[in-house]
Amino acid sequence: MAHSEPVRVGVYICHCGSNIAEKVEVQEVRRYAEEMEKVVAARDYQYMCSEPGQEIIRKDICEGLVNRVVVASCSPRMHEPTFRKTLFDAGLNGYLLEMANIREQCSWCTEENRWATEKAKALVGAAVKKAVLLEPLEERSVPVNPDTLVVGGGVAGIEAALKVAEAGKKVYLVEREPSIGGHMARLDKTFPTLDCSACILTPKMVALAQNEKVELLTLSEVEEVSGYIGNFKVRVRQRTRYVDPVACTACGDCRDVCPVELPDTFNHGLNNKKAVYQFFPQAIPNVFQVEKAGDPAPCRHACPAGVNVPGYLALIKERKFAEALDLVREALPLPAICGRVCFHPCEEQCHRAQVDKPLAIKALKRFLTDYEAKTSPEKKPKAPEETNGGRVAVVGAGPAGLSAAYFLAKCGHKVTVFEKEPEPGGILRYGIPEYRLPLEILKHEINQVRAVGVEIRTCVEIGRDITLDDLHDQGYDAVLLATGALSEVMLEVQGADLDGILPALSFLHDVRAGQRPKLGKRVAVIGGGNAAVDAARTSLRLGAREVKIFYRRSRLEMPASPEEIAAAEAEGIQVETLANPVRFLGEKGRVVGLELVRMRLLEEVDKSGRRIPAPVQGSNFVVEADTVIIAIGQRPTLDLAVGKWEGELQFDKGGRVRVNKSCQTGLKGVFAAGDLVSGPASVVEAVGAAQWASAAIDAYIRGEPLPVVEDRPERTVPFPEEREVLPLQRQEMPELEAEKRRRSFAEVELGLDEEQAVLEAGRCLHCAGCAECLQCVTACQAKAIDHAMKDEVRELEVGSIIVATGFDLFDPSSAPQWGYGRYPGVVTALEFERMVNASGPTHGKILCKDGKEPKAVAILHCIGSRDKNFQEYCSRICCMTALKYAHLVREKTGAEVYNFYIDIRSFGKQYEEFYQRVQEEGVHFIRGKGAEVVETGDGLVVRAEDTLLGIFREVSVDLVILNAAMVPARGAQKVAQVFGLQTGNDGFFMETHLKLEPLKTSSDGIFLAGVCQGPKDIPDAVSQGAGAAAEALRNISAGKVVVSPVSASINKELCSGCRVCIEACPYRAVEYDEEEEVCTVNEVLCKGCGTCTASCPSGACRVACFDTRQLMAQIEGVLAG
Amino acid sequence: MSQSSGLKYAYFPGCSLQSSAVDYNRSILSTCTELGIELRELEDWNCCGTTAVTSTNLLLSYLLPARNLALAEEEGLDLAVACNSCLVTHRRVTGCFSLDISPLANKIRSSLHKIGRTFRGRVQVRHILDILAEDLGFEGLAGKVKRRLEGLKVVPYYGCQYSRPGAQLKEAEMPESMDQILDLLGVEVKEYSRKTKCCGGVLMTTKPEIAAALVNELLEEAADRGADAIVVTCPLCQMNLDIYQGDVNARFGRSYNLPVVYFTQLLGIALGVKLVELDVHRGFVPAEPLLRKYA
Repeated sequence: MAHSEPVRVGVYICHCGSNIAEKVEVQEVRRYAEEMEKVVAARDYQYMCSEPGQEIIRKDICEGLVNRVVVASCSPRMHEPTFRKTLFDAGLNGYLLEMANIREQCSWCTEENRWATEKAKALVGAAVKKAVLLEPLEERSVPVNPDTLVVGGGVAGIEAALKVAEAGKKVYLVEREPSIGGHMARLDKTFPTLDCSACILTPKMVALAQNEKVELLTLSEVEEVSGYIGNFKVRVRQRTRYVDPVACTACGDCRDVCPVELPDTFNHGLNNKKAVYQFFPQAIPNVFQVEKAGDPAPCRHACPAGVNVPGYLALIKERKFAEALDLVREALPLPAICGRVCFHPCEEQCHRAQVDKPLAIKALKRFLTDYEAKTSPEKKPKAPEETNGGRVAVVGAGPAGLSAAYFLAKCGHKVTVFEKEPEPGGILRYGIPEYRLPLEILKHEINQVRAVGVEIRTCVEIGRDITLDDLHDQGYDAVLLATGALSEVMLEVQGADLDGILPALSFLHDVRAGQRPKLGKRVAVIGGGNAAVDAARTSLRLGAREVKIFYRRSRLEMPASPEEIAAAEAEGIQVETLANPVRFLGEKGRVVGLELVRMRLLEEVDKSGRRIPAPVQGSNFVVEADTVIIAIGQRPTLDLAVGKWEGELQFDKGGRVRVNKSCQTGLKGVFAAGDLVSGPASVVEAVGAAQWASAAIDAYIRGEPLPVVEDRPERTVPFPEEREVLPLQRQEMPELEAEKRRRSFAEVELGLDEEQAVLEAGRCLHCAGCAECLQCVTACQAKAIDHAMKDEVRELEVGSIIVATGFDLFDPSSAPQWGYGRYPGVVTALEFERMVNASGPTHGKILCKDGKEPKAVAILHCIGSRDKNFQEYCSRICCMTALKYAHLVREKTGAEVYNFYIDIRSFGKQYEEFYQRVQEEGVHFIRGKGAEVVETGDGLVVRAEDTLLGIFREVSVDLVILNAAMVPARGAQKVAQVFGLQTGNDGFFMETHLKLEPLKTSSDGIFLAGVCQGPKDIPDAVSQGAGAAAEALRNISAGKVVVSPVSASINKELCSGCRVCIEACPYRAVEYDEEEEVCTVNEVLCKGCGTCTASCPSGACRVACFDTRQLMAQIEGVLAG
Repeated sequence: MSQSSGLKYAYFPGCSLQSSAVDYNRSILSTCTELGIELRELEDWNCCGTTAVTSTNLLLSYLLPARNLALAEEEGLDLAVACNSCLVTHRRVTGCFSLDISPLANKIRSSLHKIGRTFRGRVQVRHILDILAEDLGFEGLAGKVKRRLEGLKVVPYYGCQYSRPGAQLKEAEMPESMDQILDLLGVEVKEYSRKTKCCGGVLMTTKPEIAAALVNELLEEAADRGADAIVVTCPLCQMNLDIYQGDVNARFGRSYNLPVVYFTQLLGIALGVKLVELDVHRGFVPAEPLLRKYA
């Protein structure tokens, strides 16, 4: 073996023409080298890299004179591969070469010859010392998977994929948008030939789609890349379209019925598109997709019954009122009731409130039921055609019981509801007053429940008229307990047993049952909930002259809904907060007044999160009253004897029935829902609970595993910041005048009319995208739409990767001086491209915001580029696009065009000729960057310094086009992370060598194409795409790639398994071996950078060619010189 | 003083507010009192040197504000300033103390040492406008407004020095804080593209033809926008726009009659401060007739 022979070093010094020899005294260096130990030959030559130069080295090796080589010349980045090959050709291992860089690091950067020569001697000396210790290394090769991944479907990616596919190799093309085409598909004309952009691009897109070697993965993004050159594993997430791409014929029927409009991102938000849409007419693949934000809208998220609010709002906007109500009823069988009494948590969360006021969701729901009552009063929901034989007893015909009965009957079960009162409805019938919920509305809605096959038996009280065991004996498969929370909490203070003190619920019950409880002239109501307000307003209507509500906390803590309180006050009811009764005063056994104490709120809060009230000493006062109504709370009570159901019924301290996550009580087959489980809550919460309980009962009867009440999804969509939302007035609910309603039980709220409803529904932002109204599903004859589709994750194996992720435009709204985002007449270059495009939002007409053609147009160059505040680089395409825009404006409008430029860079083939042509078309060129754009009464004014005339200019125009800089595509940093790419200061991906390796990256096997590497125009992007394909094909065609042996290795004996090196390695080349508890290096991934060696605390890592011994020797060599 | 907001500053009025702009000073003091902001005037403060010293002796131009900053640091308070030029000169000093290595900071330290003072760079320099908009905040202000100045149309003029250095570019080009405060008061704030353009500054005394042309531009746009008044944050801007308005009229054949008021004067009126305490009668172009009806 070579290295067992005595070491004989040859030193070869290059003059590099005059590059080195002009500064470095080559002969002196040569003599210095000659003197060194182990050096047997030292030679110099004018161009050592030339063929005769290499021959000098080869000859010395072949003659057996030298077995180590030092070349002192340029950077090893330049010629190390050249000289390695020289050694191999001569039969010597190429890694027995050491280079001394005496050009870039010496002659070029040293001023005085004397010092340059000294430094060259030191560098050569160091190289010799190291060369003595060099060892031969074996190059290895790895096989290359012939499949290729192209990331990004713009013109560069398309070109790269086409070239690879046309060579007969498999290509996956991943694109995050719904179609390939990228920015070029959005352009109108291309400079300098003025070819139609789409016309020249679409043939390539079609060719790609038709090539069987290509697999398109649109709406997809790469999530993870592992492996190494020739053998990558790639995980791709493909977002669902909710449309089967095979079945979809792109007929557009779905789009025609879709009621939801969202900003059209293809047109940069200049117009709206439907939520189910085709990306653009020539889209590839030519299929539709549904746009969803992913998380639910805040209204739907907030609704305890999960009613699809955006869905029915969208349908109202389209005047599809029947369809809208059907959608509501899917989740809510009591829409007319909820449309009146719901506490609408949906409205509290509505994002429109951030702009003006929330949508009037409750009023819109009620409108739908009013409309149905008016237009089709006989409409009944359909009972299921087949029953499945299950029998369910529901105890209690309140909101929870009725809703559950409805859902269960819809599932095909036979449902009987038992109600103790003479009429069904529970709290709806006997608690909520007529003026809020008219009886006929309630009856109608209960009849709807009956219509699906529910039987309601009234005057049957559980525990008295019938027992749970009876139900068991009668063959019911399951029971739902929904008896509510109707037991009233009474005040335990002195005088509470006087006549004239009434519990609120019994009072309301009696009024609703048709009795007229005896009331005095002065009524005091104690409590702050809806029951208190209801009792107060009812008292007023029964003839009380003065009604006062007393509440112990502040108004902020009142549980009653603010609208109800406001309505009560409008009717003349006084609300006195922070007052608590301490005793009732009586005469002859009848109440005549009450003594109260003022309260204050402590800083501490109670379990409900509200501040605790405490009495103020000595603040007692007396109020006259001849009737007092107590409304301070309710709780459930249920006392049932049970024998025949398996298990035990359990209650908590508040009297609430305990249930598991499937709404089942301790008794098998006995479920519970509503206030009985939750304590006093709202109608819509009862409906929500009924949904879960009925689903559980349905599964129970079918013998399936019981569904579990899920926690609400945590997230809802954020406010759509990217949209411009204009304020629109909320349609307020008309009410009966306060004077008229004080003495009448006529309904107070009058309902929105049709026009109001449509206007109001149109205010919905549809912040979650598609409203899932399912109109498209009905409209699609191909049955291609499925809203239940889920994202897919694909695992691909490829040998080469071409990254072509493109660019975005710099957002000029971050620089207010140019007026973008402030003045509608200021547009970006890409927005103008869409405006001037025949398929764009203005059908190719160049128009100002007012719809008129501009008389003067300014085109501002270098917006955000060549600017220290933003991007320092030249964006390279903008001069030419500006010329193109100037031409298009002149051609289409005859407006005056002013170009504000710093320099015109028309460097490409036929570009300068195009510039000449545009100049001849009468376009004005002002040499000076547009400093700012301001709006005056007459339009826009561009201010700039005209550096040719040396004056300051103000030019009035109607339209300003900002030629904003190309910047790395959004998410480029993440792409860099996923693929292990490096980015420059400008954010674009780094190539291996700016001039000579513009397509390769520091990650072997991953190539770059297009603007992701730096700003460039279409011809350059296409060339680079083809070039990147050639790089990939070279590896595929070779079938294997050589891997540099200059890599790290870890000495298992020394490794402590601390894994510091795993964190340190930028190439993810180090892995932990669980079995041996040591780290190991994947030599294929390793770049030999040495970071692991430096980080290793045990000295277990070493990098071949950069061994500590070798480096120490090198240092000695430098210091010796 | 009404209920304290808990905000407390060392106050540097600067020379102008003792002479040409006593109205600015009075309106600041009465407004801040009303808002519960404590301004404690620096004892024995000195002129900041402004443009004049900057162009003659660079080190001195740093030392003058540095002494004021040292005084504030001894008080343990941030420094409130009212004049845009004072703001810049003082910020320039704190700016070089915020750098890791600044030879200038060392020179300042050693010079201050000679007069027995030290400055460690722990003081922030705050414009009164920023104190109101950011430290007190719009919500804090909104609760205190007693009278709304409905129907008053103004353009907000911040001047070229207010938002730089130190501001984000967006704010530097197009500040909004005064617009928002005025909006809270019910004032109709007109679009004004020359918000941060130069008024000519001291050029009005050395090259009046240049400064007058700049002032003319400012007045012209304000008039075109239909403003009843120009609202300013700087005593020098006020002086150039107000005192020289007649001169500009004569020079350019115009007939502007636009009162130039400080934002603190309008704020004071809205807070219920008496007109006389706000000195609104002092302008060359009288503001009182315009503002009387709101008081």
